[in-house]
Amino acid sequence: MSMVYINIFLAFIMSLMGLLMYRSHLMSSLLCLEGMMLSLFIMMTVAILNNHLTLASMAPIILLVFAACEAALGLSLLVMVSNTYGTDYVQNLNLLQC
Amino acid sequence: FTPLMLTAMFILLLPIIMSNTQLYKNSLYPHYVKTTISYAFIISMIPTMMFISSGQEAVISNWHWLSIQTLKLSLSFKMDYFSTIFIPVALFVTWSIMEFSMWYMHSDPYINRFFKYLLMFLITMMILVTANNLFQLFIGWEGVGIMSFLLIGWWYGRADANTAALQAILYNRIGDVGFIMAMAWFLTNSNAWDFQQIFITQHENLNIPLLGLLLAATGKSAQFGLHPWLPSAMEGPTPVSALLHSSTMVVAGVFLLIRFYPLMEQNKTMQTLTLCLGAITTLFTAICALTQNDIKKIVAFSTSSQLGLMIVTIGINQPYLAFLHICTHAFFKAMLFMCSGSIIHSLNDEQDIRKMGGLYKPMPFTTTSLIIGSLALTGMPFLTGFYSKDLIIETANTSYTNAWALLITLIATSLTAAYSTRIMFFVLLGQPRFNTLNLINENNTHLINSIKRLLIGSIFAGYLISYNIPPTTIPQMTMPYYLKLTALAVTIAGFILALELNLAAKNLKFMYPSSLFKFSNLLGYFPIVMHRLPSKMSLTMSQKSASMLLDMIWLENVLPKSISLFQMKMSTTVSNQKGLVKLYFLSFMITLALSLILLNSHE
Repeated sequence: MSMVYINIFLAFIMSLMGLLMYRSHLMSSLLCLEGMMLSLFIMMTVAILNNHLTLASMAPIILLVFAACEAALGLSLLVMVSNTYGTDYVQNLNLLQC
Repeated sequence: FTPLMLTAMFILLLPIIMSNTQLYKNSLYPHYVKTTISYAFIISMIPTMMFISSGQEAVISNWHWLSIQTLKLSLSFKMDYFSTIFIPVALFVTWSIMEFSMWYMHSDPYINRFFKYLLMFLITMMILVTANNLFQLFIGWEGVGIMSFLLIGWWYGRADANTAALQAILYNRIGDVGFIMAMAWFLTNSNAWDFQQIFITQHENLNIPLLGLLLAATGKSAQFGLHPWLPSAMEGPTPVSALLHSSTMVVAGVFLLIRFYPLMEQNKTMQTLTLCLGAITTLFTAICALTQNDIKKIVAFSTSSQLGLMIVTIGINQPYLAFLHICTHAFFKAMLFMCSGSIIHSLNDEQDIRKMGGLYKPMPFTTTSLIIGSLALTGMPFLTGFYSKDLIIETANTSYTNAWALLITLIATSLTAAYSTRIMFFVLLGQPRFNTLNLINENNTHLINSIKRLLIGSIFAGYLISYNIPPTTIPQMTMPYYLKLTALAVTIAGFILALELNLAAKNLKFMYPSSLFKFSNLLGYFPIVMHRLPSKMSLTMSQKSASMLLDMIWLENVLPKSISLFQMKMSTTVSNQKGLVKLYFLSFMITLALSLILLNSHE
């Protein structure tokens, strides 16, 4: 594979690591989720534009829409947790209550 | 002919126009009003006699008011059989009532205003009777409603009077809806509101406007369903009760139905409806009159019962007989009210018949007129009531109608005799039951003259009117003797029964009332139920449907809250894990890394 793709793929892996290993704030995993979405978007756009796959040109935009939806969902969950506990520390999610 | 009639009507307007001048402040104003009405009566007798001798009807169309697209509205008066005969009768009765109220309202500081209101009422009634198109009739209709409101609530300091006036307006309004519906139907289907045009064109299905007119008559003439306002209207002064609620206003509804008799002749459904409605009204109000204790309320119920009888007459397709009954009924009912007014005033405003008695000796003139009025009411042969009431019962007996309605009418006739006997028994006979320090005095000329005039009218008017009117529908001439004597027999049975019961129960202890008594005394529970229950139910229903149903259930609870509740319940029941999120993520990552390293063998 060419260098560009490996670069972007590496960015994706970095964000994945960040999503899975975080310390205390729930917000940081959400940020890394955004990073994953961003890197996926860039990779998809570069691949389509370089190989002239014209018919698939709408795919990145659709990906962006769905990324926005899931970001909103994640933020609403964060707000719910923050409403009950005051902060978003992950230690708080130990009792399965809302 | 026509100028005389217009002069008679114009004379009536004069005292009202002069009300802003010095004449109004004069203490002789009532006298002026009374003499005005007597002049108008005499003048209006002349066209009446011309009409009787020649049978010629007239329509006066003066002034073209406006034309709305294809509808031409003008000021037109219709002097036909009904209005020409009704106007002198109404003027005569009003003359006597004005004279009576000069005695009755003598100590009232606003007596001038009272006379002005009575005169305005009379004018609107004249407009109603002589109207040739529905618009003018509606003006008169609303006018009598408004004057009734102002006059019932004359003593506005009394809360009951205000409630009664409001009740009258509300019930009349419900009837007005029917009237407006009829007007709208005529407007869209025959583009005119003139009676001539309505009667000439042939309509296919007249159910809707006739239903509207029946509803209007139910409201204005206090038929069953819209009747509670009439007994409550007795809160007004006695002259008001005598004029409005015995002779003139309550016959406005019947008059409307009589005016439309060409349309009602063809429609069998309408006739059956009016017949049943009138029969129910007659019986129900007669039952209620049996146990009332207020003398004015008993007379009010008897008015209501006679109105039901008039509606029954229209139902058997005899509009002319109903009109005759209107005219004769005016005489003796107004006289009954005036007698009760004289009794009330001389007993120092006592209206309860349980507290009157033994007035036979102190008030001989009032006693005489009360007895004659009651006999005329029940249809004693050869007094006034006989000429109309007996004819009605005979015609009903020999016509092809609803037998149940007929039976009910006969029962109501006997009840008429029963409650009349009750009035006479409690008020006139026996030992006095009122306070002893009353000065009972009927020496006033105004009182005596007015009652005397109506007394002579009650005795002779039936004969005079029946033999002088132009021929109309022919009454049934031959019938079996038992049918002809039915009315008389039923009335005598009512008299004797009531007399026996009253005499037998005179000195017994008053026991706890039976349920039948309570039904009769509380007007059949009708006002109690109907005034509270429907309004409360409609208000609560609208509140429930608008705020509870729409807002709280559909918008709030069905989708959002139900989904969240469901998810919460389900998640708490299904999942049994603890919240160690970081460990879960770490395990995910280690698994991913291990799998990528170990399964790298394709390279």
